[in-house]
Amino acid sequence: MRNEQPSQPLSPEIDQSPPDSTLEPAPLPAADEEMTRKPQPKRQQHTMRAGLAVMAGRTAGAISRRLHLGGGTSIVGVVAQRVYPDIIEHLATELEHGSLMVTGTNGKTTTSSFIAAILRDDGLRVWRNREGSNLVGGVASSLVIRAQPNGHLRRAGKAISILEVDEAALPKLVDAIPPRVIVFTNLFRDQLDRYGEVDSIVTKWKQAIAQLPDTTTLVLNADDPTIAQLGDSFAGRVLYYGIDDLSLKDDPAEQEAERHQVLDVRTCSNCGSDYEYSKRFYSHMGHYHCPNCGKQRPTPDVRVTHVQMDTFDRIRIQIESADEQREIVVPLPGLYNIYNALAATSVSRALGIGWEPIISGIEQSKPVFGRGERIQADGKTMRLLLAKNPTGFNEVLRTLFSDGISRHILFVLNDNIADGQDISWIWDVDFERVPGQTETLVISGTRALDLALRLKYAGVAEKNMSIIPTARLKAHRNTETPRQKRLKKKREIKEQLAEMPGSQERQYGIKIALDSALQQTPVGETLFVVPTYTGLLEVHRELEQRGFTPHYWEGRDA
Amino acid sequence: MMSPNTTQQPLTLTLGHLYPDQLNLYGDRGNILTLRRRCQLRGIELRVVGLGVGDALAPDEYDMLFIGGGQDKEQAPVADDLHEMKGIGLWAAIEDDMPVLAVCGGYQLLAHYYRPAEGPDMRGLGVFDAWTEHKGTKVPRCIGNVAISWNGQTLVGFENHGGRTYLGTAKPLGKVLKGNGNNAEDQTEGAIYRHAYGTYLHGSLLPKNPHFADHLIELALQRKYGDRAITENDLFNGNHTNKAAEIGATVLELQKTTVSPLLTPLEDSLEWEAHASMLERLGLYSEAATILRTHKS
Repeated sequence: MRNEQPSQPLSPEIDQSPPDSTLEPAPLPAADEEMTRKPQPKRQQHTMRAGLAVMAGRTAGAISRRLHLGGGTSIVGVVAQRVYPDIIEHLATELEHGSLMVTGTNGKTTTSSFIAAILRDDGLRVWRNREGSNLVGGVASSLVIRAQPNGHLRRAGKAISILEVDEAALPKLVDAIPPRVIVFTNLFRDQLDRYGEVDSIVTKWKQAIAQLPDTTTLVLNADDPTIAQLGDSFAGRVLYYGIDDLSLKDDPAEQEAERHQVLDVRTCSNCGSDYEYSKRFYSHMGHYHCPNCGKQRPTPDVRVTHVQMDTFDRIRIQIESADEQREIVVPLPGLYNIYNALAATSVSRALGIGWEPIISGIEQSKPVFGRGERIQADGKTMRLLLAKNPTGFNEVLRTLFSDGISRHILFVLNDNIADGQDISWIWDVDFERVPGQTETLVISGTRALDLALRLKYAGVAEKNMSIIPTARLKAHRNTETPRQKRLKKKREIKEQLAEMPGSQERQYGIKIALDSALQQTPVGETLFVVPTYTGLLEVHRELEQRGFTPHYWEGRDA
Repeated sequence: MMSPNTTQQPLTLTLGHLYPDQLNLYGDRGNILTLRRRCQLRGIELRVVGLGVGDALAPDEYDMLFIGGGQDKEQAPVADDLHEMKGIGLWAAIEDDMPVLAVCGGYQLLAHYYRPAEGPDMRGLGVFDAWTEHKGTKVPRCIGNVAISWNGQTLVGFENHGGRTYLGTAKPLGKVLKGNGNNAEDQTEGAIYRHAYGTYLHGSLLPKNPHFADHLIELALQRKYGDRAITENDLFNGNHTNKAAEIGATVLELQKTTVSPLLTPLEDSLEWEAHASMLERLGLYSEAATILRTHKS
């Protein structure tokens, strides 16, 4: 593929006067858009068009940032694509080492950041789409912000891009940028209101894989049956990874919790019989086989043979590939991060990278945006652990509450579009782990009341939770009828009632929630913040304003 | 915990949970947890029995039934099993006034048929005189928060269904206040036949609608202990407060008019606040205010 060679000779005649149509200012009329979509027009025409797109996109991004409409990361690509729909294709072909893609429900960001660290240590210049802008627009942004007004990428030599791709956006993107390696991490139910059912994602992925040239390498999680089956009909190279350490503990509490867990995959992709598991690590991840047709978990090419927890966020793993064994210390908590390290190792092996950068890359990588990220605030430590779907949330809870230490917790549950508006899934999460395990517990977000209710039904007493929703109910302001308003006396009674346990006056807003959670956490201790996606953005914004963390669009990749 | 009167046995109810492994798409566990906890706080033991594919349904063994929703792939084998293994038992139970809650896919399976955009019809049990059609992938799914009026009160939830359900002679569960309901056309939501309730509301349905949860529990109690319930009206309001206090919950001594007269009222202000908050998100401000006025001390 695009490996080892500049894919398209760069046009030397940039100054040559372009055809009239491309001189028009952006955005161009639809007729022109049609014209430039046609295959095989002259490259320099495209370069001009790309240049315009780059300028338009970057201007839009600058304005968006100036107006504080957000990080301004997605808008750049969206605008550039409006000006030149094939901008992604155009720019991506200039990367000397091509592109890698990472997709799946959970672990995309951490896996890509591990891969990025490894590739950097191997001497490559790594480009990424950052901070969750993983839809088509975000991928376009990541290229456009590194392009010049002449329509070419800056410093494309020795460059490789790692694209974190939203599950549903995959078919569109592989069409524009055929990747050298694509890794599928796992598939769990997530935002059913946005993606539809889990099965529809599988269909999309199969479509995407059918479009791939057989020079692409698929890297698949062998322990997730839905992911593993994606390799069944692929003509190119497939590399599987998995955990082979059968001594990983299933403590009794976990078995208990597991019984309630909802599984997204239980039936064989061949014959529809129920899979049997000889080992289940969490949810549907484990060693499975079909008792009916004999389909079983593929033998992993890259595997973890032993796991040892040194501390909360130091996990020592023995990793084996092609009869070579190495020890890597994963600097993040939780079993799910072992899978992320394993995925990154497999991708690197697929690219033919040696062990040294793999080990140094993983061991020295810093937790990224909200994925175990550590922030110091007034002598207290905050750890941000994003949890955006039932499996992710379960794994975070398991990581936090498995060693019997009481924690200081702030949960933030939002139901904005990016989080998914359906929060039914909280009832599938094992909050039964929580009662008795929290030193202090603050609940915030647009759906704080729902989460508080979930915790109440899990057995957490209301007096042990501080509920601080994002906004006050209008009805709370207007509960007094005109008659009540006249009767001051009645109001006083109301105030007395408000002081009764369980119905104390609520406070509102993420700012107060964060204040309250930090105040309740003694100096020297750790506050664990577990937010959904937009909750994470809000917490970050709040921390930025207090000067605790850098602005998130000022990352180090640019 | 024990009834103070004639019986020495604690009250027990058995809930049959149909297809817990296949039909569990939308937090259906929340409905079970809610029923269990609300029974427990009143000293009623709720046993939950899972009924999977291949299990027969003996109506005598249960006091209430629950069936949730699933993905299309999972729903087809379940539809067959429902006919072959459980159909007669389920019909007998429903004709004998057993309370049944069917959510989303389960609701569709209890109507006559589900006609997908492509492929053969999936037959249902025909408990509800209603049918469901999928109008193809071009027609948007019914997705979003929803509020309906039921019995002069509100129910809130979240709906996410591709199929449109049309009612024949079946009575709707309620009228749509905000959202899509059965088909986004006629303002109806859900269906009722005897004590069987079908609905598209999940979210989960019961935690934020404690009055509906209690309604189901009450129906089950009346059906099982009916005569006693009438003659010994205080049966269900015995000294269960002690039990609740043991568990750490507050049970209000005060009887509320909106709560079922047979069941001890529970401290539900958080439930109602969450309920009201959903009503407000849907723009139903006066309904939300009414809820808070009625249910907050």
